[in-house]
Amino acid sequence: MLRNNPLVQKLVNSSVWKSIFRHGWPDNPLDRSLIMTQNVFLHLHSVKVSKKSLKATYSFGLGLLTTFSFLELTLTGILLMFYYVPSVERAFVDIVELQTTVPFGQLLRNMHRWGAHLMVIAAVLHMVRVFFTGAYKKPREFNWIVGVILLLLTLGASFTGYLLPWDQLSFWAITVGTSIAGYAPVIGPPMQKILLGGAEVGQESLVRFYALHVMVIPTFLLLLISIHLWRVRKDGGMAASEISDENEAA
Amino acid sequence: MTEEKDKDEKEAFEKSSGKTYSLVEMVKAPLTMVDKGPDDSIFSFPIVAIWEAILFLGMMVFLIGFSLIKDAPLEELANPLITTDPAKAPWYFMGLQELLEHMHPFFAGVALPGALVVFLLLIPYLDQSKAGIGRWFTSERGKLITKWSSIYAMIVFPAFAVIDYFFPPREIFRDVFPSWVTQSLIPVTILVVLAFLPVFYVWKKGEGKATARELIIALFTVMIVAGFALTIIGFFFRGPGFEMFWPWDMPAGYSPLDNL
Repeated sequence: MLRNNPLVQKLVNSSVWKSIFRHGWPDNPLDRSLIMTQNVFLHLHSVKVSKKSLKATYSFGLGLLTTFSFLELTLTGILLMFYYVPSVERAFVDIVELQTTVPFGQLLRNMHRWGAHLMVIAAVLHMVRVFFTGAYKKPREFNWIVGVILLLLTLGASFTGYLLPWDQLSFWAITVGTSIAGYAPVIGPPMQKILLGGAEVGQESLVRFYALHVMVIPTFLLLLISIHLWRVRKDGGMAASEISDENEAA
Repeated sequence: MTEEKDKDEKEAFEKSSGKTYSLVEMVKAPLTMVDKGPDDSIFSFPIVAIWEAILFLGMMVFLIGFSLIKDAPLEELANPLITTDPAKAPWYFMGLQELLEHMHPFFAGVALPGALVVFLLLIPYLDQSKAGIGRWFTSERGKLITKWSSIYAMIVFPAFAVIDYFFPPREIFRDVFPSWVTQSLIPVTILVVLAFLPVFYVWKKGEGKATARELIIALFTVMIVAGFALTIIGFFFRGPGFEMFWPWDMPAGYSPLDNL
């Protein structure tokens, strides 16, 4: 076993290791609890989870998939930022250069594009799953609200990113998309103007969409995803854990 | 609650603990662990952590594989003077763009999607019952409602789109009624009636016993499936001039998949 390896032994008993990880080898209940509670990332989970909530056909892992695609998009998105300037003179050329001269540039862009579509699909399916399993019911009402807002933010993130390649496809898709907002009475036209920074899609729109895409929306997404996951724990874990209560009562 | 802990756990805590305190939690809400036998749950570490890592790696393998096969689209440099034909919104807004073809833009682009979002936000407060939490479709009845609402919406909404495309009331009654009747009142009324018919049926059939959950299942299913159907129509079946074509029979070399 890995644990009996003398090198591993030496490592986990070193004072440096012990200063970072404040738990022993997680092969007993106490250390398996500590490994979750003492780690800022793992502590999004409860120490123990219901077996029912782990059943693949219950959740299909759709919430996780949405979160993971967000992580993947953050990583590929940061890499893309190194090669992209949001100006109408540079944007399109940057994308062409990314695809033709940057090593793995085309792959990078493809992964960001398809990852974005995956996140939208996964988020919608996740909502459908949560609805049909009744997981929005008390005490999870508020987390459902957070989820709906997250879905809208996800659409916003995808939509703002759509303009950035500055090709015909993105230009006209955003022209069509934002013109829909203009039909709202009273607030529509000014909203459209604020979003585009002018009467039509141009340099101002590109900068605004870029700032929204790489900074504003991801920040809110990160914040709300954190609240969303934290609330899953605080509301008693996934709703599947409550199934047996129902059966006993019935 | 502490006496419910199994023996393994007790020993483990005693062995390595020099602590003078113990972990006690006051629970008012029905939390995961309350009143459950120890067999009901397992330690998150390492099983859950491993499954999550596998899911993440699986997703990455899928994305890399797909990205190697299919390139992201890139057309010509943006040109405000040359409109593409068709000019389509991103795929997830194609349901809305399809609706725009059938009614006044205020309803297609603002009122109906706004109502959908408000409905979504209200769901947990409209359905206050706790029955069937964590159970797919709540009950056998819920399953039937979902099934028939899906089939219904999958037929009725594409039919609405196609019939309205070939016999648009705003053309047929152009000289008979004012435009607010032909562009707004008629199509919106038809759409709302179509959306609420299954709800009404469930309510009628239940003879007053239909639960809020069942009515909401009917409405939610209709809305999701209608959104799906309209998105598919707008994305795959609309070609140049935003006219309807078969996806495999688009004129002028246009392919809907290029719009991804």
